[in-house]
Amino acid sequence: MNDVASVSADGSTYEAVSTRHYTFVELAEIYNQTRIDYIVPMPMNGRRLEEYAHFYDVHPDASMVIVDENGNPVALGMLGLRGERAWITRLGVLPGQRGHGLGHFLMETLLHTARRYGARRVQLEVIEGNQPAFRLFTRFGFIETRKLLVLRRAPTPVSLGEFAIGETRDMDVEEILETLRNRIQNDPVTASSWLDETESLMNAGSLTGFRLVSTDENEWIIYRSATFQITHIVLKAKTTQTALALLQAMHNRHQSNDTKLENLPVDSPFWAAFQHADYRVEFTRLEMARDL
Amino acid sequence: MSLIVLVEDNPHNARLASRLLRKAGHEVIVAQDGEGGLTAILGSQPDLILVDLGLPDIDGQTVVAVLRQQNHLNQVPILIFTAYPEQTAHEMAQAYRCDGVILKPIDTRYFVGQVDQFLGVRRFE
Repeated sequence: MNDVASVSADGSTYEAVSTRHYTFVELAEIYNQTRIDYIVPMPMNGRRLEEYAHFYDVHPDASMVIVDENGNPVALGMLGLRGERAWITRLGVLPGQRGHGLGHFLMETLLHTARRYGARRVQLEVIEGNQPAFRLFTRFGFIETRKLLVLRRAPTPVSLGEFAIGETRDMDVEEILETLRNRIQNDPVTASSWLDETESLMNAGSLTGFRLVSTDENEWIIYRSATFQITHIVLKAKTTQTALALLQAMHNRHQSNDTKLENLPVDSPFWAAFQHADYRVEFTRLEMARDL
Repeated sequence: MSLIVLVEDNPHNARLASRLLRKAGHEVIVAQDGEGGLTAILGSQPDLILVDLGLPDIDGQTVVAVLRQQNHLNQVPILIFTAYPEQTAHEMAQAYRCDGVILKPIDTRYFVGQVDQFLGVRRFE
């Protein structure tokens, strides 16, 4: 699939071209230009965008660059695909090109493409406060499903406080993968966002996990431990105290690592544990979804 | 004259900030990403470090976290240089033990003074 659609706006014609025709360095440059004036600019280099696409099953043929009549990129939107579900991400229009209906064209194109790839439901996230994007998604029938927190934790010493860390038992790779495969993902409160779904963690790799052995071993934490940074934390705990014990044990093992946790549901029963462990809100996203 | 390392990926902001600081007599090393910033900082003895939070390779917070574990930089002021909402910027600065925040867009009237106050520089017009 190459050029899938074109639209005329303000006397100009624009076309949608699949991202397969661009390198990740080129796509990162386009993406960065679309975000240059955003509330929370999150620039990426080519390597980081390539990693992002791999982690989150972003499909190069289903993702689109909008170009003007001279072939200059003016907008970007990417599409992750997992079975009958699709995820719109990295969507943006260059600041000087807004107000020409390009966001509308991009959304139409991505939804059309998602249908062609067999998706029956589409989800996305928008930073809270980005009203133009929120209005665009609402016009396309997306409904807010929940709020998601993006959290940071500096590598400060862990205070045990009143909670003692139970004994832990490390999981090997097989057990980590088995645990992830068996976890319940459809609970409306604790369900992971696209970024922390089992597929994302398996794609990301570099996973570490352990269980609390003082219980029935049904309380555990799994996370990605990369250079300098812990990310992709998922856990199962019966109480705030045991969730905190798992977090404390993790941070004691990685005392010099920065931590970034994206998209913890604001209603998560573990939010209190993260707060106790000195996690701070960097910003909030709204998750939105619609059926196709 | 002080040596300042500026870690900033936005070329416009980097040009403007470095021009203002050089005009005020400071030496400035500009790094466009986190890795370049860490290399520049760990390879020199800067008097002050300015770090953008949104960097294309490593998050600015992670860069600061690494720097804060370097004993030889204990006394070097690290300032967050960001377009984040003010409250968030200050919360991040506190959490990551930064010395201050300079918000973007740069206000050319005050920028050098904002930096100088962390260097203990007093200028008399």
